Amino acid sequence: MKEQPSQSLPANAYLNLDPRTKLFLLLIISTIMISGEIRGMALYARLVLAAIPFVLLILGRRAKAAAIYAILFAAAWLAEAFLIYNTKGIANIVIVMLSGLISRFVPCVIMGYYTISTTRVSEFLAAMERMRFPRNITIPIAVMFRFFPTIAEESHSIDNAMKMRGIGARSFVGNPAVALEYRLVPLLMSVVKIGDELSASALTRGLGGPEKRTNVCKIGFGAWDAAFASLAVSAAVFYFVSLGG
Amino acid sequence: MVVFENVSFTYKNGEQKNGIYDINLSIGKGEVVVLCGESGCGKTTITRLINGLIPNYYEGSLSGQVLLGGRVVHTMPIYETAKIVGSVFQNPRSQFFNVDTTSEIAFGCENMGLPEKEIEKRIKDTIIDFKIETLMDRNIFHLSGGEKQKVACASVYADMPDIFVLDEPSSNLDAASIEELRRIIGIWKSRGKTIIIAEHRLYYLRELADQLIYLKDGRIENEFSAERIKNITAQSLSEMGLRALKLEELKGRERSFVEKVECLHLYDFFFSYKNGYQAMAIEQLQIPKNTVIAVVGENGAGKSTFARCLCGLEKRCNGVLENSGTIYKRRKRLKSCYMVMQDVNHQLFAESVLDEVLLGMDKKDVGKAENILESLDLLQLKNLHPMSLSGGQKQRVAIAGAIASKREIIVFDEPTSGLDLLHMKEVSVNIDRLCQMGKTVFIISHDLELIFECCTQVLYFKKGNAEGPYPLDVKEERKLISFFEINNYETMQGVN
Repeated sequence: MKEQPSQSLPANAYLNLDPRTKLFLLLIISTIMISGEIRGMALYARLVLAAIPFVLLILGRRAKAAAIYAILFAAAWLAEAFLIYNTKGIANIVIVMLSGLISRFVPCVIMGYYTISTTRVSEFLAAMERMRFPRNITIPIAVMFRFFPTIAEESHSIDNAMKMRGIGARSFVGNPAVALEYRLVPLLMSVVKIGDELSASALTRGLGGPEKRTNVCKIGFGAWDAAFASLAVSAAVFYFVSLGG
Repeated sequence: MVVFENVSFTYKNGEQKNGIYDINLSIGKGEVVVLCGESGCGKTTITRLINGLIPNYYEGSLSGQVLLGGRVVHTMPIYETAKIVGSVFQNPRSQFFNVDTTSEIAFGCENMGLPEKEIEKRIKDTIIDFKIETLMDRNIFHLSGGEKQKVACASVYADMPDIFVLDEPSSNLDAASIEELRRIIGIWKSRGKTIIIAEHRLYYLRELADQLIYLKDGRIENEFSAERIKNITAQSLSEMGLRALKLEELKGRERSFVEKVECLHLYDFFFSYKNGYQAMAIEQLQIPKNTVIAVVGENGAGKSTFARCLCGLEKRCNGVLENSGTIYKRRKRLKSCYMVMQDVNHQLFAESVLDEVLLGMDKKDVGKAENILESLDLLQLKNLHPMSLSGGQKQRVAIAGAIASKREIIVFDEPTSGLDLLHMKEVSVNIDRLCQMGKTVFIISHDLELIFECCTQVLYFKKGNAEGPYPLDVKEERKLISFFEINNYETMQGVN
């Protein structure tokens, strides 16, 4: 039996950071990109931070995602820099909104995507355990890692079913509520069912016992972790200093 | 090893009616016990009582006690039970906690807090015993159902429990994967493990089972020892509502074949994945109209690809269908073909059964919609929400939608996976109805009993190529049975 090529697991990436570093980067990038100051020297700090997910995607062998991200971000950035001052009326409002949203949120989303798609569930659990996070918090988050692909898979089937019924995007023009309902109700039903069965299965494999969990996966900080973390910290410090000054 | 003493259990809120009553049972170490009976007979409930999900996860009122090696299950916390009992479930999509296979095998051991060295050793041993080198370090979302079930068995095995509990493990598997499952259970048995399996499909367990327990309405109705299992006749199986024990004894029903029939013509059905792998290559195919065609073949042979392309869901397939001189390209096929999916929950959208049928009509005609519902015994349910119905009813609602939108070709994707005899026959009756309405029906199935029950033609798939269709006469029936068996043999060679 022939298989579709497997999505690259951390093993075949050029570089894999410690999950804690990824979470730390995610935190810093989100804070600063969203609070977005676009004038003055702070601009450069934001540019550096926005570049971090791009570099990580390249090193994680996700060139396509990296390219899409780069184009989106560059377009929004240039629009913010030039178009805003040269347009008027509705066009101006649309450009301000779109470019503002993209340049602020997309870097965070991409960093989140990178974190989730390159971290194994067990690596995440191990990292959280080392930081002494209580299990009531870590286990639900760990389940989320598994649920994104589940939702994508289910959603794809529902998409096919809608096409067959002839209820594609076009039949919903002017009726977004119905479109949302048709899509969400079956999705929720199957996701709830899968979640329920998943919990039962995890319980029968001893999740939640009082023993300290062990972990076979190797996590730990290396030179790259230090490099990325210090880059992000310097950018953040520079950002706040230039705001104050 | 496992003892039930006067155990009764009913679920809280009566949400599931599958309670059990006065169960007394004693299973010795190293025995393989098969629990069977119609859906809702309580076999899953018994498995949950052994692995501790009752009363730890599913609540209800329990009397009597279940003992595992002398310890009472319901007083043990579930993480303790987890060390003695390993469970494999029906749905391969929902029993993995991790996204990659290797971590999943380590998962149970990690939860028990075993030393890392020990876990690594166990992973190695498991890989050797199950011959799953090629499945390691893979994303579970890219595995087939059979492969997932194999990894699920391997992960449970790595926990080294003494007792294995399997709840309808073969439901979503093809013939070759079932054969693989049989081999795995054989390994466990040879190591002296105690194995309890709740199952509809019985044929693959015939040689392994030491005891067959037949449940009806939550009570043990009959027990068969290994000796007696061999002597159960096909007739008494069908009286009990059980699936076949011997595939080679299956017989199709009487069919009449019309000599000259009009045909649908398929041309140039090719499909390749983006990575260049060609999943299907069919230059030409003639399908007799108004017949029921069984589509058989191993997983990965191109059956589902064929179904998706036929229904017009794949943009990259340029095949055309010719029906009495008219050419149907992809977009037109999207409107004239319909697929009843394996998970029918994905294709019900409206708020009531009636709306669901109206949704597919060009002109909303309530009278006509009600006629369609009437013909499928759904009229009394017309105001209910489709999601509140049973699995079989949902499938009928999907069929009603297809009829309402005047589809000529209807494809069923594994319509009877995990169904008992009664429900399988119900599906077969519905397919008959479609055939009487003049529809052409394709059935992708690994269920030989369903195929013999309602198909009149058989189309073989091998490595992306289609062969047939041939009329399913007595001679073809023999060939089909041996196809299933040879199929198994080849796959096992491939795996070993």
